[in-house]
Amino acid sequence: MNVAEAAQSIDGTVMAGRSSVEREIQGGYASDLLSDVMGNSREGDIWVTMQKHVNIVAVAQLNGLAAIVLVNGRKPEPDTMERADEIGIPIISTPMQAFDAIGILFNRNVRGRRSV
Amino acid sequence: MFMVDTHIHTCLSPCAELDMHPSAIVDAAVRAGLDTIAVCDHNSAENAAAVQRAGKAAGLAVIPGMEITSAEEVHILGLLPDMAAALELQSKVYRALPGRNDENVFGMQVIVNEFAEVLGFEEHLLSGATTLNLNSVVAAIHDVNGLAIASHVDREGFGIIGQLGFIPPDLPLDAIEVSRRTPLPVARASFAPQGKYPILCASDAHEPKDVARAATFVLMKEASLEELRRALTGEGGRTVLGGGRLMEDLALHILDIAQNSLEAGASTIEIEIVEDVPEDSMVLSVRDNGRGMDKDALARATDPFYTTRTTRSVGMGLPLLAAAARAAGGALTIDSEPGHGTHIRASFQHRHLDRAPLGDIETTLMVLLAGQPDTNILFRHRINERIFELESRDFRAADIDLSSPVGLAILREAIRRGESGLK
Repeated sequence: MNVAEAAQSIDGTVMAGRSSVEREIQGGYASDLLSDVMGNSREGDIWVTMQKHVNIVAVAQLNGLAAIVLVNGRKPEPDTMERADEIGIPIISTPMQAFDAIGILFNRNVRGRRSV
Repeated sequence: MFMVDTHIHTCLSPCAELDMHPSAIVDAAVRAGLDTIAVCDHNSAENAAAVQRAGKAAGLAVIPGMEITSAEEVHILGLLPDMAAALELQSKVYRALPGRNDENVFGMQVIVNEFAEVLGFEEHLLSGATTLNLNSVVAAIHDVNGLAIASHVDREGFGIIGQLGFIPPDLPLDAIEVSRRTPLPVARASFAPQGKYPILCASDAHEPKDVARAATFVLMKEASLEELRRALTGEGGRTVLGGGRLMEDLALHILDIAQNSLEAGASTIEIEIVEDVPEDSMVLSVRDNGRGMDKDALARATDPFYTTRTTRSVGMGLPLLAAAARAAGGALTIDSEPGHGTHIRASFQHRHLDRAPLGDIETTLMVLLAGQPDTNILFRHRINERIFELESRDFRAADIDLSSPVGLAILREAIRRGESGLK
């Protein structure tokens, strides 16, 4: 499944980084502690979070994440969108809460890939 | 030199003990030898004025402040020039702070006066997050001429690095704070490797016994926010000399003993740290030629309820160091003779699980050497076969003035090089 298809499945809107929506998703990670995401997410993951600070783009870039999903209808801050467009990291905003969005993605075979 | 604890909660913070009322805080601060404290409750400054008044009566400077929770759930301290600024910032924070407190769930938010009389209970949900993002929080603090400091950057929860992965490079912070969990040398290496931000050590005390558990030593002219600001930017010879954990760090015990030596009128103080890792041994030794102690004074020196001291102390004195040595399979010995001087020696098993960390030698030497032009201080640190030695009269011989900004910078560099050469 690619990023555009994942966005559609969770009623999400791609808010930034549209140039990379064709990218395939390899797995998933969910956390709001960015230090934890830096340590534990994997390249190609779709990342589900509440955080919308501009640092999320850097973390996604650092770990080569496929996309960021902001849940509960949260919208990225303007500087976050700007950075995401520059670097080509798609940011999806979904009205769903994290539990439901992750459930849908899981049912479509997106899995966490690290057991800690 | 001022000893400062920039992060103390009162009973207004729902997570703090109810006995954190103004006079209890001031008493604890004065007893620990602090010159200046900052009162920083979560998202509120309601109790700051009462602590200021209690402090004034005891000769303790109290900076009003606030620990603001940003929308990203990052804690930022705002240290503020006066109560007017604090109340202006507080009203901005209150407007952005949703929810009402439920004291059964989060704890009581008690507003008190300086006599520990309850004036009321704050209703805003102080334990919640504001809707202000990080940039707005820092801007709001700067708008009222405050200092913005990232709280406990070594903590995962609510610390800026834990929440956001790293410190946003363009965030105009004035300093970062490390909690008493992390020794200063570790913090310096991990969080400010380029020296980008000055580091403050603070207790984040939520109960009276934790006040001054960590503190910062600041070279400035008076206890005020304006002077602290200048020290953070290194203006006019002011500087942050260092900091640490007053009870844990052995380096601060050494500082404490050496300050006793100065009070005893010593003209020479020899400080030695010998770490022999293969032999599992660590020995701290401070020898001076001060006035010494007679038998009675000697017997009382390790009695926790006795002190000859009339001025303030750094650290918690010999009884605590004796306990720290015993806990690590070692001992404390004192040899002293009236008129000849005192030699204090503490031994430890180096690898003992309960051996306290050495802490920051840089702080010890900066505080000692910066303030003492007339005393020769010899420092020797040996780790196995490597030795670092430094003597204050060498600086004087080279015409380096250790009370000048340049002199302090040279001294700091010499200590850093010497200490890193031991690794």
